[in-house]
Amino acid sequence: MPALSGFLWLISYWLIGEVVIYFTALPISSGVIGMLLLCVTLAMRGRVPSSIAAAAQPLIALLAMLIMPGVVGVFFIIGELSGQWSAILIALLLGTLLSVVTTLWLLKRLIKPTHVR
Amino acid sequence: MSADTSLLTLLTTTPLFAVGLTLTAYLIGNGVFQRLKRPSWLPAILIAALLLAGALALMGLPYATYHQGATWLTVLLGPATVALGMPLYQQLPRIVELWRPLAICLPIAATLAAFYSLAIAWLLGSSDTILASLAAKSVTAPIAIGITEQLGGTVALLMGALLITGVATIPCVSLTARFLRIDDERLIGFALGLNGHAIGTVRAFEISPTAGAFASLGMSLTGIFTAVLLPLAWRLIGMGS
Repeated sequence: MPALSGFLWLISYWLIGEVVIYFTALPISSGVIGMLLLCVTLAMRGRVPSSIAAAAQPLIALLAMLIMPGVVGVFFIIGELSGQWSAILIALLLGTLLSVVTTLWLLKRLIKPTHVR
Repeated sequence: MSADTSLLTLLTTTPLFAVGLTLTAYLIGNGVFQRLKRPSWLPAILIAALLLAGALALMGLPYATYHQGATWLTVLLGPATVALGMPLYQQLPRIVELWRPLAICLPIAATLAAFYSLAIAWLLGSSDTILASLAAKSVTAPIAIGITEQLGGTVALLMGALLITGVATIPCVSLTARFLRIDDERLIGFALGLNGHAIGTVRAFEISPTAGAFASLGMSLTGIFTAVLLPLAWRLIGMGS
């Protein structure tokens, strides 16, 4: 039962996010607003209620599965974009490598290594 | 074939078939991933997505029909994103410690994450629609879909771009970290989430809860930053017109 009430909390925060978006027209997803609100609430309470932990942990573990149905769609548009794929692939792969290098290099410059291991 | 087709029609009247297919592909994908000793270049999600696409193609099940049933799963993406607030809170002290460098790094890195790929695709002569579909490639799916619709891109291509980016981020981060001699899990996690959205974040949680929390932070900050600024930037360079 605690997982169920925790799940209701998560749904409620998501719905609050929807309401916030409706009134503010922010171009952010309600999930992110809910996430930030949940974080603020937990910080104010100073601990994680066991009900929220019971619902949040399995959901986080399943995150990869939840985006699968959308991701699979790409295999069904391969035909539509024939001839464009090499450009798209090069752009994504090279672009990602460059941006990862930039991110890590910047972080390394900005943060003195303290070796948290 | 006609008997098969009617059986398929019967099975797909309930979303449970699509849900069952997804779970099966995910579990097998995970099993294969563990059996291969968790290769960083082949994440479980890629194995599972390939299996699922193969199964749909074999059965002749249209993607639209499958996707409709799978909505029963994808609707959980909302509460699952909210749930990331928990590891974020648990790591708050470590994040606060680093807020200044992270605040400097994020706008630069998130801008470049979109810029590099767009510039390369533009140089290679991609159409405006393709550019609009690739722009949100480092943003987590629920936010990225909204951005892409705003820019006039194709959501299916965006999801592909998300998959490729997310999967490519994992080996890129481990190689670059080795090259730059970075072993701080906070930095590795942040880079995974910033560049590789949910797929990178899942990977970061495999490394450690600390890496996972920094990945969630990187993912959500990139999402918010890109969602606010990308549509504006797009209008400024006159792409959306």
